[in-house]
Amino acid sequence: MSYHNVEILFVEDSTDDAALTIRALKKSGFTNKLHHVINGAEALDFIYCKGDYTSRSDQDFPKLILLDLKMPKVSGLQVLEKIKSDPVLKFIPIVMLTSSNESPDIEKCFELGANSYIVKPVDSDNFFNAVKEIGLYWMVLNQPPQ
Amino acid sequence: MKKNDSDELIIANRQIAFQHQEKENRAAELIIANKELVFQNEEKENRAAELVIANKELIFQNEEKEKRAQELIIANKELAFQNKEKEKRAQELIIANRELKNAEDDIRKLNDELEQKVIQRTAQLESVNKELESFSYSVSHDLRAPIRAINGYTRILVEDYSDKIDSDGIKILQSIINNSKKMGELIDDLLAFSKLGRKQVTLSEIDMTGLLQLIREELSFEDYENVPEFKIGILPNAKGDKSLIKQVWINLISNAVKYSKHKVKTNIEIGAYKKNNLVIYYVKDGGAGFDMQYYDKLFGVFQRLHSQEEFEGTGIGLAIVQKIVNRHNGTVWAESTLNEGSCFYFSLLSVNH
Repeated sequence: MSYHNVEILFVEDSTDDAALTIRALKKSGFTNKLHHVINGAEALDFIYCKGDYTSRSDQDFPKLILLDLKMPKVSGLQVLEKIKSDPVLKFIPIVMLTSSNESPDIEKCFELGANSYIVKPVDSDNFFNAVKEIGLYWMVLNQPPQ
Repeated sequence: MKKNDSDELIIANRQIAFQHQEKENRAAELIIANKELVFQNEEKENRAAELVIANKELIFQNEEKEKRAQELIIANKELAFQNKEKEKRAQELIIANRELKNAEDDIRKLNDELEQKVIQRTAQLESVNKELESFSYSVSHDLRAPIRAINGYTRILVEDYSDKIDSDGIKILQSIINNSKKMGELIDDLLAFSKLGRKQVTLSEIDMTGLLQLIREELSFEDYENVPEFKIGILPNAKGDKSLIKQVWINLISNAVKYSKHKVKTNIEIGAYKKNNLVIYYVKDGGAGFDMQYYDKLFGVFQRLHSQEEFEGTGIGLAIVQKIVNRHNGTVWAESTLNEGSCFYFSLLSVNH
């Protein structure tokens, strides 16, 4: 598998949520190259070209990181903190995509520099629309620094 | 001789006469003395009689004294006995006092223990409460993911496999979607409700007229079959947490609109009146109403007085209203006549107090 030119890094430990999110993105017409990792540790390996990702170029940044909050090993908060405190990586937009609508979680994420916080809707219609909107906004409308 | 003798005789006579006189004098004196003696005897007898009487008296007095002495002895004995009793009582009192003091000490100790226990229990309750909250949070939180999966995968079946499933099968899949959606709503409501218990209530003066204006703008009923007409009275300001009280109004107004949907017209009256240091607000509708005999279920979590087919909903709205109003130390109540409408009231502290 090639790790080059990955536009969306998708960090999600739930296979089901991952399958539904990826399907929703594809159905909405986002054919951008997406890479799915199943925990925070792997996400950091990907970003910093370590472990399984040593062959990846560290000059190659995703356009968007979709980040789950509650994950085993390294949590979404830790990944967020690490990336947003890195002077080079902090410009990558990070959208938290999580089940938690707890105020402390939300506050903490924005404090650490998350660009957006989306609570995964239970209803598939709403879920589909939410994912579509995320794709549309961050991949099409949003203009990141070059 | 003659002369001498007669002289002598005269002298002797004179002497005899003198002696005689003397004898007579003495006799008279004796008589007097006798009389005196008689008198003295009489006196003595009198005195003797008096002495007899006095003696009798003395004897009587002595007897009396002896009697008194006897009585005194008895009285003394009694006193001694009483003294002993008193001492005994005093001893008893000392013991009783000691016991009382011990009892007091015990009570104080028990009180201290009780207080300690209350503090402990309160802490336990608080921690149990927190546990329960985090439990209800994590339960509802963790439940959302599988429901999302059920809902999502069923939709995939409907969307991508409809050529392999017949129309009955699609209907069943639709039911799964609807039910999982409903469960998601219930869980979200439960989450919202459990969050309320933890939310800090910040009191400030609420501009009620302004708040209602804002809510009227936010709640849009324009695509409704019968667009509700609102009659809003004068609303005095009150003390409350604005975002929470806004939720109360939204829930009550949404209910009023919802339960009027089977009527030809929807008229909703919103008003307030002052009572003592309280402002009582009300939302009145002419909708379906409810039977007052089920009143005690009205504000319960997930309690509903109408079927899902008649009026949709999870049954959390009024539970949230009650929880919010109670957290403001206010009260919420309702009056209703079946098929004629309901009026919901809630009280808040007025700003002057």
